[in-house]
Amino acid sequence: MSTQTAGASAMSAPSFLRRNWLWLFMLALMLVLPWLFYDHDRGRHSGFAITLLSEIALVAVFALSYNMLMGQAGLLSFGHAILFGVGAYFVAHTLNFIKASEVPIPIELMPLVGGIGGLVCGIIAGYVATKQRATAFAMITMGLGELLTAAALMFMTFFGGEGGITTDRVVDTSIFGIPYTRPIQVYYLIVAWAMIAALLMYLQTQTPLGKMANASRDNYERTQFVGYDPRVIRYWQFILSGFFAGIAGGMYCLVYEIVTFDTLAAVRSANALLATYIGGAIGFFGPIMGAVLVVGMQSGVSLHTSAWLLYLGVIFIAMVIYAPGGLLGLFANHIPIARMGRLGELAVPYARVLVPGLIMTAGFILFVELVTHQTIGASQGKKFGILGWKLDPDSPLIWVGAIVAMIGGALWLRHQGRFFMAKWNALMEDAKARGIVA
Amino acid sequence: MTAIQLTDVRKSFGRTEIIRGVNLTIPKGQRHAIIGPNGAGKTTLFNLISGRFPITSGRIEVNGNDTAGLAPQQINHLGLSRSFQITSIFPRMTVFENIRCGLLWARGHKYSFWRLLGGQRALTEESEQLLERLNLTSRRNVYAGLLSYAEQRSLEIGITIAGGADVILLDEPTAGMSHSETDYAQHLIRTVSEGKTLVMVEHDMGVVFGLADIITVLVYGEVIASDTPANIRGNRAVQQAYLGEEAA
Repeated sequence: MSTQTAGASAMSAPSFLRRNWLWLFMLALMLVLPWLFYDHDRGRHSGFAITLLSEIALVAVFALSYNMLMGQAGLLSFGHAILFGVGAYFVAHTLNFIKASEVPIPIELMPLVGGIGGLVCGIIAGYVATKQRATAFAMITMGLGELLTAAALMFMTFFGGEGGITTDRVVDTSIFGIPYTRPIQVYYLIVAWAMIAALLMYLQTQTPLGKMANASRDNYERTQFVGYDPRVIRYWQFILSGFFAGIAGGMYCLVYEIVTFDTLAAVRSANALLATYIGGAIGFFGPIMGAVLVVGMQSGVSLHTSAWLLYLGVIFIAMVIYAPGGLLGLFANHIPIARMGRLGELAVPYARVLVPGLIMTAGFILFVELVTHQTIGASQGKKFGILGWKLDPDSPLIWVGAIVAMIGGALWLRHQGRFFMAKWNALMEDAKARGIVA
Repeated sequence: MTAIQLTDVRKSFGRTEIIRGVNLTIPKGQRHAIIGPNGAGKTTLFNLISGRFPITSGRIEVNGNDTAGLAPQQINHLGLSRSFQITSIFPRMTVFENIRCGLLWARGHKYSFWRLLGGQRALTEESEQLLERLNLTSRRNVYAGLLSYAEQRSLEIGITIAGGADVILLDEPTAGMSHSETDYAQHLIRTVSEGKTLVMVEHDMGVVFGLADIITVLVYGEVIASDTPANIRGNRAVQQAYLGEEAA
C-alpha cells in the first residue's frame, strides 16, 4: 500500500489502466450499448433500450447510495426512496422555475439540484432516523417513508397530489448547446452523472468517515472508545447517502419529466434493497450488478410475463438463503479456487447441478405461467405460450409435466447438490491448507 | 498529578449495589493492577471509569476532569483509552484498518469525508509501525475476525493504545492465552505502557506481580487494600479474601 501510494503521482499509463479497468470498462459499456440497439432502418435509437439503460444507470446510483447505509454502515433502511423522491421533486420544480422565470440555470446541473434536495431531506430525516441504530433505525425509516408518501398526497403545492408534478426538460439552458429533445442526449448526461456519483461514492469509502462507518457497522460501541460518536457517524453517512440518492432522483426527473408520489413510496425503497441485496452489499460494485438485474426484470421480463415480480421475489429469497453475499459474493467465493488454478475442476460438478437446476426452473416457470394464465391471461383472451411456443393450457398433460419437472428437478438437484458441495468443500479445505483463505 | 481519582464511587444495578464506595487515586505514570475474586466488580469499575455506564453516586476524575455526564468518546478525548475483557475489535475490517481506526481521531481526522486515507502517508506509517510492535505485520491484510484468539487480543491492545492515550485501561489482557502468549503479552504491555498510566484488571498473578507498581484488591465492590506488590503479598486481609485460597 505505501509503495503504491508513493508512486501514485508518477503513475504510468499501463498501471492506471490496470488499477481502473473496471471503471473504464463500465464507462465504455455505457457509451457503446445504445448503439447496439440502433435501428438502422429508421435511423434512430430504440426508445425502449435508451429508457432501459437510463433506468439502469439511475437505479444503480440509487442502489449504491443505499449501500452507503446498508453495506457500509450496517443500517437497514426501509424508506430510502424519500431521499430519491425529494431530489426528483426538487428538479421538477427547478425546471418549471427555469421555464417560468427564464433564469438560465444550466440543465446539466439538474442532477446536482436533485442531490441538494436529497441532502436537505437527509439532514431532516437523518436527524430523526440516526438517533437509533439496528431495528429501531429500520422502523423509523419505514415510518418516515409512509409519512412522506402520505404528505405527498396532502400537500398539493409541492408534491402535486396524485397527478404529481409534470415538467419539460427542454428549457434551452444547456452549457453545451444540447437541446435534450432526444432521449439519447439525456442518456449521455445521465451516464456522465452516474459515473461522477459512483466515483465519488467509491472515494467516500476510502475516507475517515467511510472507514468509521464500517467500524460502527462492525462494532458500534468500540468506535466510542476510539473517540467517535457512532450517532454522528450515522448522521453524516445518512446525509451523504441522501445527496447521492437525490442525484439519482434528479436523473429520474430528467428521463421521465414527471414526478409523482410513488418516487417516494415503499416500492421504490424496496427496489433499492432488492438491487443491493441481490447484487451483494459486501462490495462496492454489488449494487450495480443488482440494479442491472432488477431493472432488467422490471422492464424486460415484465414485457413477457405478469409474474415477473414473483420471479424477482423468488430470486431475492433464494439469494438471502443460499448466497447472502449476493451475486458479488458468488463471484468472490470462487477467487481462492481460481488462485489455485483449479477452477476447471468445478466444471463437472457445475454441469451436474445445472441440468436438474434448469429442469426445476423450467417446471416452476411453466407452472407459474399456467396458473397466471388461468387467473389473469385467459380472462384477457390471451393465447398461452412460452417463448413463442404455443401450448394448450387445458391439457392435463402439461400441468402434470410442469409439476413433475419442478418436483423431480428439485429432488434431483438436491442429490447432485451434495456432490457439488463435497467437491466445493474439498477445494476450500485445500485452499485453507495452502493459506489462500484464512 | 493524578491520572484517575475516584471519590466514594457507587454503582447499583436495580437494588444490588455492585460498587460500594470506592476511593482510589492513581498518579500519572503508575502501572496499577486491580485484582479480586470473580464478581468483585472489577470490570464494572472499568465500565464506570470509561463512561460505559453512568455512576450512581460519587465522583470520577480523569486527568483532573470530572467525567459526570460524559459519553465514552468524550472521556476518550480526555486521554483515556480502554480494552475489553471480551475481545472487541472490528471483525470485518483488516488488521491494518483496525489499527488505523484507533488512530484516526487522535490524529485529527474526525468525520472527514473529503480526505482520502490512501494519501495519508504518516498515518499509514504509524499504523504499520504499531503492527510491527504487535507482531501482526504478516497478518496486515487479513480480516480481524479471522485472526487467532491470541492475535485478536494483541490487536485489541493495539487499537487501545494506537491513539496515544496517556491513561490506558486493560481488562484481562492475557485471559485465555497460553504460557508463551502470556509472556509475549506481558512484554508488549510493558513496552506500550512506557511513560503512561496503566490500569489493568488481571487474573494471572505472574503478570500482576511482574508489571504492577501498585496493586488494588477489590472484594464485593470495596477496596480492601491498595499497596505495593510486596505489601499486598504480606497483607493478611488479602490473603484471607483472595490469595489465601490460591496459596492453600
